[in-house]
Amino acid sequence: MKFLFYLILVLLLVPFQTTLLPHLSVWNIKPDLGLVAAALIGLFAGELEGLLVGLTIGWILSLFSAGELWLSLLTNGGVGLLTGFLGRQVSQVTSFSLGGVLLLVSLASGLFAAMNFKGLDMAQMWWMVESIVFPQACFDGAVGAGFYWLLSRRFDLTRLRTD
Amino acid sequence: MWMAHSSSPYGARRIALACFALLLVTLFLFPAQIQGLSQYLGGPVGYVVRVPLEAIASIDAGIADRWEQYVALQGVREENQRLRKEMEWLRGQQSQLRESAAATERLTTLLRFKEQALPTMVAAQVIGRDATNRYRALILNKGESDGIRPDMGVVTPAGVVGRVVKTTEASSVVLLVTDSNNAIAGLIQRTRDEGIVEGTQQGLAQLKYIPLLSTLRDGDRVVTSGLVGDFPRGLMIGTITHIDKQEGALFQSAELMPEVDVGRVEEVLVIQTSYGQSLKAGSGADPREKPSP
Repeated sequence: MKFLFYLILVLLLVPFQTTLLPHLSVWNIKPDLGLVAAALIGLFAGELEGLLVGLTIGWILSLFSAGELWLSLLTNGGVGLLTGFLGRQVSQVTSFSLGGVLLLVSLASGLFAAMNFKGLDMAQMWWMVESIVFPQACFDGAVGAGFYWLLSRRFDLTRLRTD
Repeated sequence: MWMAHSSSPYGARRIALACFALLLVTLFLFPAQIQGLSQYLGGPVGYVVRVPLEAIASIDAGIADRWEQYVALQGVREENQRLRKEMEWLRGQQSQLRESAAATERLTTLLRFKEQALPTMVAAQVIGRDATNRYRALILNKGESDGIRPDMGVVTPAGVVGRVVKTTEASSVVLLVTDSNNAIAGLIQRTRDEGIVEGTQQGLAQLKYIPLLSTLRDGDRVVTSGLVGDFPRGLMIGTITHIDKQEGALFQSAELMPEVDVGRVEEVLVIQTSYGQSLKAGSGADPREKPSP
């Protein structure tokens, strides 16, 4: 049942991310739903499932992007692992703290990607950080926090987490 | 929103950490092999993912069509679209005719004129945009099973769109001409000076490495040079809008306004055989599809 849920999630993420989200983008910036999904799965299902599902999401999304495979794998897999640890070690995970983690991971990933771009001078790199990386990190953090808040309103997260 | 500590499954944690460490080591030691494996496994996955992708893309297109037809001014919109398409087609034709005229003039003086062969092209539909914000790319509904391979050029009747960078069996990713990671050999149509067209961070394009003595000016048209890559000569890339000539620099550069509005592209043509290859193949080359208005 869980496997089926993950399969459907991964299959639907691609069209949502590539076809529908461009319509919902703000200043041409769209959130990374793969990152948010991996973080939530890590938080609720533990570090191993978070890592494995995050890696799968990262791999499949990289097939539909011009970006580097390694960065997508590390970012999505890493966030699943990290939130898995966070869920076990931190007694109170709030939508605010999850949003903060997502913001930092997205920011780190964006900075790595910007440094990996060939031929960018400092001005161009700063422009990229200012207009793409930072807004996207904020967007990812806000969407992650929003999803967590919605889930917490709908479900008893303590029971969901311990189950 | 309190979360309880659950019993710590150290086994799962250790396995997760070991997997992540192994992944890190493998990615840094064998990047090419991992990329190859991903490409190999991604082939069949492309077929599976294409089903929901095409379904949602068609729903999206259907909603967009309905919106445009019934909510916006129906007649005017349709006529505008038809005229725009016609204008794009004519622009492409005009560019190619100019190029043909210039080529004829040069080649007849050499008395070694050969008729220009049309490249083989395959039509594809745009079903999505890049999954990230960092690259400007399109996703096409055709892939390796349709003969599309990385590095093939992608055009519309109006001009150059970009270059294929990734493929699965059933889809491909096209890096747009406006992406800063893309580079295409370009030629100023009037002065015949060559340069490299690259995308800019702001979503435009620039022509770099233009000789200092070039007499280029605003409004000059830049076309593909056909010397490098998989684009035939004479396809429109853009129009020069600003020239940057710095003192002491070895070359000058120019900003371009791309001819194709890459934000609104819906159908494209992928060039499967380049101009050079077509000539080598002789007249046996059978173009599957030609640009049509």
